[in-house]
Amino acid sequence: MADDKDVLRDVWFGRIPTCFTLNPDEVTEREAEPYYLLLPRVSYLPLVTDKVKKHFLKVMRTEDVEEMWFEHEGTPLKWHYPIGVLFDFHASNTVLPWSITVHFKNFPDVDLLHCPTNSMVEAHFMSSIKEADALKHKSQVVNDMQKKDHKQLWMGLQNDKFDQFWAMNRKLMEYPTEEGGFRYIPFRIYQTTNDRPFIQRLFRPVSTEGNPHTLFDLLKEMCPDALTKDGEENRFQVVIHGIEPLLETPLQWLSEHLSHPDNFLHICIIPAPTD
Amino acid sequence: MCSCWLAGMSCGVVDEEEFCRCCQLLLQHSDGVGDGWSWEAVRGSDEGYLKKTLLRSVPAGRGVPQKHKEPGSDSEQFDYCHLQTEEPDIEEEDDGVCGAPAGSSSVLQYEYHILYSCSYRTPVLYFRASTLEGRSLTLEDVWRSVHPNYRLGLQSRPLDAITQQEHPFLGQAFFYLHPCRTEEFMKPLLQMARDQNRFNPAHLGPVSERRLSVNSE
Repeated sequence: MADDKDVLRDVWFGRIPTCFTLNPDEVTEREAEPYYLLLPRVSYLPLVTDKVKKHFLKVMRTEDVEEMWFEHEGTPLKWHYPIGVLFDFHASNTVLPWSITVHFKNFPDVDLLHCPTNSMVEAHFMSSIKEADALKHKSQVVNDMQKKDHKQLWMGLQNDKFDQFWAMNRKLMEYPTEEGGFRYIPFRIYQTTNDRPFIQRLFRPVSTEGNPHTLFDLLKEMCPDALTKDGEENRFQVVIHGIEPLLETPLQWLSEHLSHPDNFLHICIIPAPTD
Repeated sequence: MCSCWLAGMSCGVVDEEEFCRCCQLLLQHSDGVGDGWSWEAVRGSDEGYLKKTLLRSVPAGRGVPQKHKEPGSDSEQFDYCHLQTEEPDIEEEDDGVCGAPAGSSSVLQYEYHILYSCSYRTPVLYFRASTLEGRSLTLEDVWRSVHPNYRLGLQSRPLDAITQQEHPFLGQAFFYLHPCRTEEFMKPLLQMARDQNRFNPAHLGPVSERRLSVNSE
């Protein structure tokens, strides 16, 4: 049985092979070759695509270059979602490498947030961490940290330093033993069949009777349609970091081990492949 | 202003039921004075939020959003001081009406949404603005139109106070006032509400008194 700490490493070092292609409508001075990259599941597109930008800027005139944005099969990709979530949600059951189209004009500013700098990504990331701690610990742990501790979390993510990140993040994963878990579990459920971008509500890791809640309990409460009824075929897959955890897994354990660096458990409900 | 909401603001925490109750009260008052707040229900759940859309005319050449690529044009010189010294027209009822003389102003559409944040147990304000042609305002454009009274309080950490965020129900890009700053931001507003019997989230627009006469209980 794998050590729980190994799970933390496997999650952190997960990668997605990606092929970036320039949007054919961009004005170029010569043809652009596609660019291949292994993307970290736990990071964010603006943090890891400097090389992609440099590569395509080589064939473009500066006057034709506006804010870069990415799209997969016509859907603009939200840079503020972790890369692994974008992949699991949009391209889980497609052939690898993941195909992403790069754009330098017509930024879809109704659907996408602007991201001019890495500070923007940092602000967003820290905001998620703070929100997660508001749910887990009424913000007590994150507020007790110093500014340099917050910085360490961010630098750990930005520079892909697992030990640096977890030296600080472990504090956010602690809880009083007598409580049996966090106050509420920070999670977001993404469903392809839903208009709203995600479901996020209050949910405790332990029931009033003192029993640990499982992934099944969470889904039953938040999106019962995703669960397979007896006698029916599996219509949906419940995916976290590219795998389907057993529905009996305790939610508290999932929150401690399968959360993203932003301290949220991101859960994708996608249609099961029909083959 | 709903007293329960005011009470919530001063101690910082409101639960979702209280929020919904306050919204219903606000809506009743709003309906009574034709103030344009509505309740948007989220399909398939009992969640929802308050919404108000309004059109504002802005003096020509001022506050008109520019594309990111064109800095230094005339419109960048948003003369806020000029607007500030204008006498606020208390009788002005420009809900949905562009009252300015033809050719002398541009019209911006503002949308305000008040949602409940279960993470922070408090109402949060989301808003966006665009020209009638559909061009979205940038954060800079928005900052320029924030009343100096409020701007000062927020300027210490502007990136923390108003940022772009994804609307949790619509999935679209909105500006968002961070809940940690809500109280700080709301204080002058609440004082004004107590003094004048009004609730005005449109402090984020150009200076003109809005008649959102929701009575204090």
